[in-house]
Amino acid sequence: MNLTPFIPEIASTQAYQFELLFWYIAITTGLVGGAVYAALAYFCIKYRRGNTTGSTPRILGSHRLELAWTVMPLFVFMSYFAGGVIVYNNAAHPPEDAMEIFVIGKQWMWKAQYPTGQRIIIGGNPRNMTEAERESIGKLILPVGRPVKITITSEDVIHDFGIPAFRSKMDAVPGRYTQVWYHPTRTGEYHIFCDQYCGTWHSLMVGKVKVVEQKEFDDWLMGHTPLQGSRNAVDGSLAHEGRQLFLKLNCISCHSSTPNGKAPVLEGLYGSRVPLRGGGAEIADEEYIIKSIRRPRLAVVDGWESIMPAYDETQVTKEQMDALVAYIRSLKKGQTPDRTEYFPAPNGAPTYPRTQSPEKK
Amino acid sequence: MSIAIGQQGPIAAPPPPEPDPLPVNYLNNGYSIWSWLFTVDHKRIGILYLVSISIFFVAGGIAAGVVRLNLLQPDGAIVTEDAYNRAFTAHGVMMLFFFLIPAVPAVFGNFFIPMMIGAKDLAFPKLNLASWYVFMLGAILAIWSVLAGGIDTGWTLYPPYSTRASQSHVIPGVVGVFISGFSSIMTGLNIMVTIHKMRAPGMTWGRLPLFVWALYATSLIQLLATPVVAITLLLIVVERMMGVGIFDPTIGGDPILFQHMFWFYSHPAVYIMILPGMGVISEVLTCFSRKNIFGYHAVAWSSVGIAVVGFLLWAHHMFVAGISFYAALLFSLLSMLVAVPSAIKVFNWTATLYRGSISFHAPMLFSLGFVVLFIIGGLTGLFLATLGTDIHLHDTYFVVAHFHFVMVGGMVMGYFAGLHYWWPKMTGRMYSDWWSRVAAIIIIVGFFFTFIPQFYIGYHGMPRRYPNYPHEFQIFNVMSTAGASILGIGYLMPAVYLTLSLFYGPKAPANPWSATGLEWQCPSPPSVHNFDKTPVVVCGPYEYAIGVDQMGRGLPEPPGVDDNPARRSGITGPAGPMNKETEVVG
Repeated sequence: MNLTPFIPEIASTQAYQFELLFWYIAITTGLVGGAVYAALAYFCIKYRRGNTTGSTPRILGSHRLELAWTVMPLFVFMSYFAGGVIVYNNAAHPPEDAMEIFVIGKQWMWKAQYPTGQRIIIGGNPRNMTEAERESIGKLILPVGRPVKITITSEDVIHDFGIPAFRSKMDAVPGRYTQVWYHPTRTGEYHIFCDQYCGTWHSLMVGKVKVVEQKEFDDWLMGHTPLQGSRNAVDGSLAHEGRQLFLKLNCISCHSSTPNGKAPVLEGLYGSRVPLRGGGAEIADEEYIIKSIRRPRLAVVDGWESIMPAYDETQVTKEQMDALVAYIRSLKKGQTPDRTEYFPAPNGAPTYPRTQSPEKK
Repeated sequence: MSIAIGQQGPIAAPPPPEPDPLPVNYLNNGYSIWSWLFTVDHKRIGILYLVSISIFFVAGGIAAGVVRLNLLQPDGAIVTEDAYNRAFTAHGVMMLFFFLIPAVPAVFGNFFIPMMIGAKDLAFPKLNLASWYVFMLGAILAIWSVLAGGIDTGWTLYPPYSTRASQSHVIPGVVGVFISGFSSIMTGLNIMVTIHKMRAPGMTWGRLPLFVWALYATSLIQLLATPVVAITLLLIVVERMMGVGIFDPTIGGDPILFQHMFWFYSHPAVYIMILPGMGVISEVLTCFSRKNIFGYHAVAWSSVGIAVVGFLLWAHHMFVAGISFYAALLFSLLSMLVAVPSAIKVFNWTATLYRGSISFHAPMLFSLGFVVLFIIGGLTGLFLATLGTDIHLHDTYFVVAHFHFVMVGGMVMGYFAGLHYWWPKMTGRMYSDWWSRVAAIIIIVGFFFTFIPQFYIGYHGMPRRYPNYPHEFQIFNVMSTAGASILGIGYLMPAVYLTLSLFYGPKAPANPWSATGLEWQCPSPPSVHNFDKTPVVVCGPYEYAIGVDQMGRGLPEPPGVDDNPARRSGITGPAGPMNKETEVVG
């Protein structure tokens, strides 16, 4: 049981401004409140019945005093208002050069998406997740000392993306986009809370934001140091790009891990020895993989029908081919992604009836 | 001169030798169940309300107990997340819609407004009875929805969660609140018309007790704001039942629209809850300090000011909901303005105590508790009205603590102050002086322990409505729960000694506190028609310094420091203005 320090961690420029304003209000209201308490206590002791004759003066009021304690609070309150506007104005208007990140809330997790393609699932309720999702729970990675703009929306009900260490909070409203921005000033890990009640596991829609040095952040963007606990290639590397292609070109509809798939599962394929139809075998190296995509009928795996279409350079460019190979290289046992319809489309995308919803499996 | 101060006579005998033929009062002129269920007597209807809201207070309190106990451990000590969500929703709905809103207006307003202005009943006695039936119908629906499995939307019912996602019994609960809203409108209308049309001769607006002013302002809000929440709740039902897109964006609605409509009622509704409490405090503080209120007009008009400005700041609940920047500025500015009349009231109450002769009976202790707690509640509201601080504190325990300081520290304290102040008048019995003082102190202490830690964890970012929370907050939640246990014991004590007083309490004199209001001119308990003869009012409400009541008659000797008001006959004062040194300031 550790006691938190009296002032919570200040990890952004906005948090610093908040604390200044908060303590300005706290001290002024404390003084006024304390003065009223002192007056109450003094009157209650001095004028208690046993201490008086029972006779009291007929005091009806004083316009001068009442005017004073009408106008003076008004001025003080206006100073709170002005200070609040300064902080809020700053919080509401991100700088031009801010890096942009998109965050989507859904019951009960956050999905963050970086402009370079990295996707992170933050928090979420472990009890409500598939094994794959649980493995890939991540943290929102932010660089220190650089403004970041977060655009927020929600897929279902209203959530609220709040980071206390940044003294920031913004509702995620379905059908709307809201914005916040941070300028983190300290590295470290801080809480992310969902602050708007959103149902059963509202309190488990929590996660962490990890503020790292710029270099570490760049490395992570490049996929060199996967900070996330993910087994899937969701780290922005070449393999990640290949994974996107693998899904986009519908390779997954045959090369799936479902029991009655129409094509072999590619997990652990790279480097293995592949038996071919009509005898013989080949080592599945890069050349073999490229050949199998460009001209699949040349070497069909033993036991499978030759049904795969060929992909020429108009369909898969050389760069894309590299990405696909990198992805297939990275595929380990149990990593074949689920079919794309598993993932609900973003709000507003054209929809089609889903046969089964993943939550109800 | 045959009425008013008890049985007028040279000296009324002290309790033991009772007058044999019991005078007919509103309580003993019929004992059948029908004489209660079909009564149109505003006093009996007030008692009906008192009994019903006490039940809802206990129900809401049990739900609060579940919430607090569950927070003892960071991952939920006793119930599942779903049960927790249902518990805090039940707590909010019960306490707000079925306790706080009707508490003072429907119990003390019904009972005492006619008596305080010298009338025999409210303007529309049958409407008054109808309002209780409507209230009970709504309450039964709401309770049924809780018993049938509960609602898990929070009392704020934000769509699209409440219309699309929630798997709970939203519709009966919402319909229950919708129906009980009509009861609130009826009561407000009734009280307003009564104050306008039925004042006794001489009871000018400037001589109305401040409780009447406060309830007038409350009624204004009830009348104008409740229809808005009614239509909002109806739209929730329509969307949930028929899938008409009003609030759900996937079918063409706008969730922010709901928040605007909901808070357009629910923000003024917090003034429905607090203003009557402020009215009670103005009565009690003057009586127990034997002083005129400091600045009658300022206190009276600040109630109306709060009611009017209170309509203009609903969107300060939505600063981080994605409303426009300039709208946020405007609503923050207006929220600052509503703090001014509240500040005026507090300063005037404090100044009222100056050079008084203060005794600390239970009503006074509750009232001082009100002032002390309301100051904290009001000042912490400034943090939330300020834009720059609200973006962090919004939806944290800071809001929960602020709200409870105002609603429980303020309103419930005011309710208990009123209950203890008027209990002898309502029932004709005195309760235990010692136990009531102890209860008041226990409640105030327990309250501080419960809610001060919540300010701290809220400031540190713990969101509200969280059954699971980070470990560093546990010690503060344990403290809060410990405080809530003290608070719970404090609330149980009045239930015991007030109930016992009904059977064993000494008979109350007509004016045990030596107060000036017209309600004290009736016997305790009041006769069926309150006044045998219409009273004529000759002066303002708080002439304690001169020592005359509103009819210009002398007051009995006020209770001393440590004597028991029940031991005094209540009519020992001189008939006529007391010979006192009078000093007029200002």
